[in-house]
Amino acid sequence: MSSKANLDVLSRQVAYSGEGISVKSLETDIQKERTIQDNKVEELKVLRERNVSIQTAMAEELKKLRKFSDYLNGTATKGGFWAGFKEVLSYIPGLGSMSMSQRSIEELLKAQYQISARRVKEAAEYVDTLKQSEQDLYKEIDRINVRIVEMAKNEREALNYVLELKTLQEQLEAEEQAVEAGSVEQRDIQANIDKVRAKLAEHSTNVQLYGSAEERYARLKENTRKLAETIRNLAQDIQQYTTASSIKLDMASAQIQAIGRAADASTVMLEMKRSLDVMTESMNVTTQFVSDTQIFFRSNLDTLIKELDTFDENTTSVLEENLRKSKEIEEARIQAAIDKAVKRAAAPASPSSAPAAS
Amino acid sequence: MTVVALHTQALVLPEAATYLDLLGRSLHAARLSSAFPERRPLQQSLETLAESLRLGLHGELYVDSRAGLPNLASFTRPLTDKSVARESLARMGDRAALEARAGEAELFARLAAKHAYYEKLQDRELAPVDHQRVLLRRHDPASGTAAFRIELTKLDASGVYVRLQIELTQVSSLWRRKVIDLDKDGETAAASEAFRAMVYRCADLDAEALFIRLHGAEGVSVERVQRGVIGPVLFAVPTGSGVQVVRTAEAPDDALGREWHAWSVGPGAAEHERPELLAAFATDSAAIDIREERSNDPISPLLRDRLRDQEQARYRALRERYPFKVFKDRKFVATPGLKTVAHALCASAGTKNMIYALQIG
Repeated sequence: MSSKANLDVLSRQVAYSGEGISVKSLETDIQKERTIQDNKVEELKVLRERNVSIQTAMAEELKKLRKFSDYLNGTATKGGFWAGFKEVLSYIPGLGSMSMSQRSIEELLKAQYQISARRVKEAAEYVDTLKQSEQDLYKEIDRINVRIVEMAKNEREALNYVLELKTLQEQLEAEEQAVEAGSVEQRDIQANIDKVRAKLAEHSTNVQLYGSAEERYARLKENTRKLAETIRNLAQDIQQYTTASSIKLDMASAQIQAIGRAADASTVMLEMKRSLDVMTESMNVTTQFVSDTQIFFRSNLDTLIKELDTFDENTTSVLEENLRKSKEIEEARIQAAIDKAVKRAAAPASPSSAPAAS
Repeated sequence: MTVVALHTQALVLPEAATYLDLLGRSLHAARLSSAFPERRPLQQSLETLAESLRLGLHGELYVDSRAGLPNLASFTRPLTDKSVARESLARMGDRAALEARAGEAELFARLAAKHAYYEKLQDRELAPVDHQRVLLRRHDPASGTAAFRIELTKLDASGVYVRLQIELTQVSSLWRRKVIDLDKDGETAAASEAFRAMVYRCADLDAEALFIRLHGAEGVSVERVQRGVIGPVLFAVPTGSGVQVVRTAEAPDDALGREWHAWSVGPGAAEHERPELLAAFATDSAAIDIREERSNDPISPLLRDRLRDQEQARYRALRERYPFKVFKDRKFVATPGLKTVAHALCASAGTKNMIYALQIG
């Protein structure tokens, strides 16, 4: 007697896309994505260190320029202008032991201008690095999105197939009730029910794996997006500050030269102060930038890392849960096999249930 | 006219590229001797500026509106770029990888171009803003004398690019603690900070004044002072639209400036298509081996010819104390349209100067 149930369901190939899934492969894939994020976070950490050194250097230069400005303004000259100026010169590396008359102010200011220009350039160069990182992360988001869609589709496929199997199982169980116990028909139906169960076990695992993979990829995407936005904001801030500083330095260059020469001729000190004020303003803008980004880093990067750590815990717990469920299924399967073996051992031998000779 | 700050003129593409190309070629056409700042580093700086503008790394080129040469900010840019190049290249990674991603985002195409720019820049010798060195010419421990040459290359505050060379001799009993110090092996020398600063500060004086100033230093006998000056440069470059012309905004107030102004409001006023450039290259020497005192510089006569009668006697008395003579010269490089300006200038001053042709594009 042939079954009325549609047994084709059992032999149907389920159209999962991708390379198939297992707990291990999922763990490997997620880890790969996490590594990309970790690398970007490491880059940001390096940038934070670099930011601190730029800030320190900027602060030193600002201090020198402010000292120039203050002494020229006559606000800090206990021992007279020249004594004060000697102190100012002592802030310039290599000039500590020199007297005022031993160095051209024009040369000094030009050298300072060049150092300042280099500092601004160094900071500006990080914009490209950050933009590159941002692009890398958006590319990563695209890739993750493809994975999310793939996982969602596969989960749907698995669910549909599980439902079909469930229906088939119910039909077969109903048919089993209608046939004689211990008959060939019953054994045949039972064999098919076993096949259905095995398929159910396999594909219900897939439902769980694809479902959790989808969720985890979605969380990963969210963190990647946060990281990309952090990097983009930082790049924009740096670009804004360095552009402003650079313009101010460019505009001040001719004044610095002119006033340097005038100062060398020991004249027009007021003009010199004005020029220095322009330069100081530029330094102020740059220092503001490093200061702000420092705060930005403190308030954002640490939070971000913390969030990533939390996410890491979530990933681990999801993976552990999957492992636990897989183990349960495996144990149930083994137990069922043992139960069946025990039951068969206890029952009298029946010709219809004897295995066919090969 | 685009003056954006004190003596600062901003040029943008395509005018900036035309200007840099003409200026670079004028340096080659001028056949510069060792009296002038070194040509190759200056040309490489100009090429670097042109490239950085083309790649959009910088938006404008800043030119000294009096001297018509790139100003301090522009001279500094290639030097700054070179100083960060190595570190930036390390961060950028492989150029081929950047090029491979060019289609992905505009950023990668730009970074690949910047990568190539930095790579090239690493090997370039660029024009310094300031560079001073002391070379030992002779050292005779027996007679206790040492002869030196001091070389200073400087972007002067007036906007011109100057090379100053001073040859002098010191007496041993004094030089160890005075102007120039020799190291223990007697092979290398360094100017004292005070002397170095004095030379730097006085670099814009003419050779005659500088000779007198230095010859007065204790224990020093000056033999030669030579200045080689690049600039001023006068240019008229049509803008991209071809309607307006960008010109040197603050031409000098001298005979050259006047001839230039006459050309600008005369024949040059109608020129809206061809770029024009006139570059001046002057030498000014005061030395003990010059036979005849003379100026062949149409815009810088000898000091004695500029003094009033009542000052002549005092000047002659001063000169009698020093054994040198002065020779000044100036050559020009000009595009066809501005050759007439150079010719008119020389004719009116009665000088015979080299005027090299600079072909347009």
